[in-house]
Amino acid sequence: MKQKVIVIGAGIIGTSVAYYLSKKDVNVVLIDAKDIAAGTSGACDKAIMLQSKKSGPTLAMAMKSAELYKNLEEELGEDLEYENGGGMILINNEEELKVLYEHVQKQREAGLKVTIITGDEARKINPNLSPKILAATWCEQDAEVNPLKTAFAYAKAASKANMTMHLNCKVTNLIEVNGRVIGVNTTQGEIYGDCVVLCCGVWVTSLLSSLHLEVPIMPRKGVILVTEKLPKIINCNILGGSYIVSKLQKEPPEKNPLGIGLSMGQTKSGNLLIGGSREFAGFDSSVNSFILTEIAKKAIAAFPCLQHVNLIRSFVGFRPFTPDNLPVIGEVPTVSGLYIAAGHEGDGVALAPITGQMIAEIVTDQTTEMDLTPFHMSRFFESFTY
Amino acid sequence: MDDLLICRCEGVCMGLILKAIDEGSTSVQGVKKRTRAGMGYCQGRTCQPILRDILQKSIGQNEIEQTQKAQAPVRPIPLGKL
Repeated sequence: MKQKVIVIGAGIIGTSVAYYLSKKDVNVVLIDAKDIAAGTSGACDKAIMLQSKKSGPTLAMAMKSAELYKNLEEELGEDLEYENGGGMILINNEEELKVLYEHVQKQREAGLKVTIITGDEARKINPNLSPKILAATWCEQDAEVNPLKTAFAYAKAASKANMTMHLNCKVTNLIEVNGRVIGVNTTQGEIYGDCVVLCCGVWVTSLLSSLHLEVPIMPRKGVILVTEKLPKIINCNILGGSYIVSKLQKEPPEKNPLGIGLSMGQTKSGNLLIGGSREFAGFDSSVNSFILTEIAKKAIAAFPCLQHVNLIRSFVGFRPFTPDNLPVIGEVPTVSGLYIAAGHEGDGVALAPITGQMIAEIVTDQTTEMDLTPFHMSRFFESFTY
Repeated sequence: MDDLLICRCEGVCMGLILKAIDEGSTSVQGVKKRTRAGMGYCQGRTCQPILRDILQKSIGQNEIEQTQKAQAPVRPIPLGKL
């Protein structure tokens, strides 16, 4: 009999896991409390940015994921609005230049094609960029994708391979017998399987707590601004240097409690998505007008032509934060038949394909091509205070 | 009927809305994410109540919020005037 795997959460991670599992000739059941991309994956930006990743396991993973994205439209037979248009981090002053120069050197050693370009070179790529921008980093491997389309396309492709989907179906708890997870209780009844994969991001903690397990994944609130449709204003992914610099220099969060920085991308439809903020506020989805103003100021400083562009909406997403900024991927220790793929924070879009592939490998073959040790959930156990 | 315009801002017609419901949308947000209806300049002020009614007719009541969450800004505003 075929292996039956229950995947909880139909965001970009869960649908990716479901898709790569369905390619392995496994019976997949995908469950979501609401809908496909109804949570974090439906409230994020569209960057597949490599150069924002710290060199180490996340960058290595992101580079593999970026390769998978290149053929994904063809593989899934859907337009995902994928564009390998590169990305830049804007440098405002000498101090930022110094810090980012070191960052770039480390990434180059890790094999990323990233360089520092002058302000004028940056303005050649993005003619609307402010004359005040001193320099920029440039990485041609950065890309963009529509995360909504990606999640829907993954789910569709998996459904074609006989995946069963239960939407508007909330998992209330995991069913465990003698240290083994054998299924889930849901609002639509019990569902049994050979194993369960938790892909429910910030909502994973309550399911784990039903087995007396804890993982330090916390919702980190991010606000994004949406403008009216515009002709092509920016030609690649944009990140503001100041936020990356403060992150690299490990500045205490008190200095910028709302985590305001600049990230920009233009959708295929023409809307600009302008981020963002990163704050710990539980699941409070209200938008503070101060945050909108501050983000808008940063966007206008980088692209003065945005002064008169209309904001039409703002939205809030809850990114699954982990204390060491690495996702949690692999087997859940102490119980068998339970796997987790959560805690990607702002890297979920970039890391979705490789996460799905790695989970599919470990669930079916019990081994993966990449070393999963840095992502293992047990890394939190020693330092944990109950 | 299929080419009846429902969302003027994004040019989404009835046929596409019904297809989205067929594909599993049970909420205004679900239709919006599948079709872009309600994602345009007016942010669904006109089409979202219509979408809600189409959903109610095709699948009955559901527990999910009936239209999208109200979120700033109330109406389009230039970034420089925030």
